[in-house]
Amino acid sequence: MMPMNAIFKITEVFKSFLLEIGELSFFAARFFRESFKRPVEFKEFLRQCYNMGNRSLLLVAVTGFIIGLVFTLQSRPTLQEFGAVSWMPSMVSISIIREIGPIITALICAGRIGSGIGAELGSMRVTEQIDAMEVSGTNPFKYLVVTRIMATTFMLPILVFFGDAIALFGSYLVENVKGNVSFLLYFNQVFNALEFGDLMPATIKTFFFGFAIGLVGCFKGYYCKKGTAGVGVAANSAVVFTSMLLFIIDFIAVFVTDIFYDL
Amino acid sequence: MEKTTSQKIRLGLFVIIGLLIFILATYLIGDKQKMFGNTVHLATSFNNVNGLQLGNNVRYSGVNVGTVRNIEMIGDTNIRVDMIIDEDIFKHIKKNAVATIGSDGLVGSMVINILPGSGTAALVEPGYEISSLNRIRTDDLLNTFSKTNKNAERLTENLLKITNEINEGEGTVGLLINDMAMAKDLKTTMSYLKTSSQKTSESISNLNRLIASLNNKDNVIGILKDTAVANRMKAIVSNLDKTTVEINKTVGNVNKTILNIKDGKGALNYLSNDPGLVRKIDSTMTNLNEASIRLNEDLEALKHNFLFRGYFRKLEREKLREQRK
Repeated sequence: MMPMNAIFKITEVFKSFLLEIGELSFFAARFFRESFKRPVEFKEFLRQCYNMGNRSLLLVAVTGFIIGLVFTLQSRPTLQEFGAVSWMPSMVSISIIREIGPIITALICAGRIGSGIGAELGSMRVTEQIDAMEVSGTNPFKYLVVTRIMATTFMLPILVFFGDAIALFGSYLVENVKGNVSFLLYFNQVFNALEFGDLMPATIKTFFFGFAIGLVGCFKGYYCKKGTAGVGVAANSAVVFTSMLLFIIDFIAVFVTDIFYDL
Repeated sequence: MEKTTSQKIRLGLFVIIGLLIFILATYLIGDKQKMFGNTVHLATSFNNVNGLQLGNNVRYSGVNVGTVRNIEMIGDTNIRVDMIIDEDIFKHIKKNAVATIGSDGLVGSMVINILPGSGTAALVEPGYEISSLNRIRTDDLLNTFSKTNKNAERLTENLLKITNEINEGEGTVGLLINDMAMAKDLKTTMSYLKTSSQKTSESISNLNRLIASLNNKDNVIGILKDTAVANRMKAIVSNLDKTTVEINKTVGNVNKTILNIKDGKGALNYLSNDPGLVRKIDSTMTNLNEASIRLNEDLEALKHNFLFRGYFRKLEREKLREQRK
C-alpha cells in the first residue's frame, strides 16, 4: 500500500511541477505578446529600473568586492605552491567574468528583486488591487508584469558589469597588498587573459538571468494564493524557483558556449 | 515630481556608468586582440603548429605585436598561418625574419615568436610569407630521451663492470685502490716528491734571484751583458788573436834562431856551448875589472896633472853654471 501511495505522491508532485512549468510558459508567452502592444508603460518601467538597478547596486557592489577579495585570498596560497602567483589576475578575471560575477549577482538579485516582486504582486493580488485595475480598464499584466520583467532583464546585465568591475578591484587590492602588484600590471594581465569568448557569452546569459528573475517573481506573485500566507509562499517560492532556474540557464548557457567554442 | 527627476538622473548615471564599464572592457579586450587600430597581414608556414589557435599572440622580439588570424592546411605537411601585425611594428620586420612557435610559460598557450632578421635585408610587404623554424615536438623530445636512456643504461652497465673490477683489484686502478704495499710506496713517493718539489722550489727561487742579479752591472755577467764592454772585449779578443799570430811567428823565429845557435857553427853556438870559452871569458872579465880599476887610478892621476887640470876645472864650472840656471 505504502509504495503505491509514494508513487502516487511523486506522480502528483511531478504533475504539479509540469503544470507550473506549463503555466509559466504561458505566462512568458503572454509577456512577449503584451510587450509589443501599446500603450508602453515607460514611466513605470523607469521606476522599476531605478528600484531594481540603483537600489541593488550597493548590495551587488559589497558582495562583488568581498567575492573578489576572498576568491583571491583563497586561491593565492595554492598558486603560490606552484610558483604561479603571476597567473592570479588571469585566473581571477576569467573566473569572475565568465561565471562568478554573473551567477552571484543573479542569485543576489533573485533574493532581493525576485522575492520583492513576488511579495509585492502577491500582496496586490491578495488585496485585490490587480482585480481593481482590471475593473478600472488598466491592463495589470502590462503595467505590473511587463515593466518588471523588462526592468530585471535590462538591469541585471548592468549590475553584473558593476559587480565584475568591483570584484576585480577587490582582487587587485589583495594582489597589491600581498604581491605588490601595480594597478597597471594587474589590469594589463586581466585584459591579456580575457577574450570576447569570455565576455560575450557571460553578458548574453545575464539577460536570460534577469528575464528569469523577473518572470518567476511576477509569475509567483501574480498567481498568488489567497490569504497572507500565500504572499509569503509566493515570495519564498519565487526565490527558490528562480535560484534553481538560474543554475539550469547557466548550465544551458555554458553547454551552448562550449558547442560554439568547439565549432 | 522632483523625486522622480532625481531618480531618473540616478538611473541614467547608473545605466551610463554600467554601459561604460562594458564598452571599456570590450575596447580593452579588442585592443589586445588588435581588433582596433591599423594592422597588416603577414604569413608563415609550419609543418606542425603544436596546438596553435586563432587569437594566439604574435610576438616580435618579445613584444606582443599581433594575433593569429587564420590557420589553413595547404598540404599534408604544410600549414599556413595568417597573422595580423600592428602597422607601427610591421615596418621594422625584415624579410629574413624567422617565425617559431613557442609556449607562453610552462603551461601557457602557444605563441608565435618572430625573430628579427639580421643585416640589411629588405622590409616585408603586406601579405609576405616569412620563413619559419619548426619547434621541437614532444614526440621528438621523447625519442631523444629514449635514446639517451638507452645510452645511460649501457653506460651504467659499463660503469658497474668497471667498479666491480676495481673492487676485485683488477687493472691499474683496482691495484691502486686495493694494493696496500703499493699504497705505502706511493705514499713514500709522494713524500719524496713533496721534498723534491720543496727543494726545486727553493732552487728555482735562487735561480730567479741569480737571473735577476745578472741584470745588475756590478758583476761579471752584468758587465759582459753591457754592449760597450762587449764591443771592447771583441776588439781585445781580435787584437789578442792578431798578437797570438805574431807571437807564433816570433816564437817560430826564436825557435829557428835557437836551433841555429844550438846547431849552427857561428860565434853564438861557440859562446853558448864551449865551457872553456866561459872560463876564458871569466878570467878575461876578472882582468878587465882589474884593468878598469887601474884605469880609474890613472884618470885620477890625470886630473891632478897640470896639463889636464885646467880642462877638468873648466868642466866643473860649466856644470855649476847649468845648475844655477
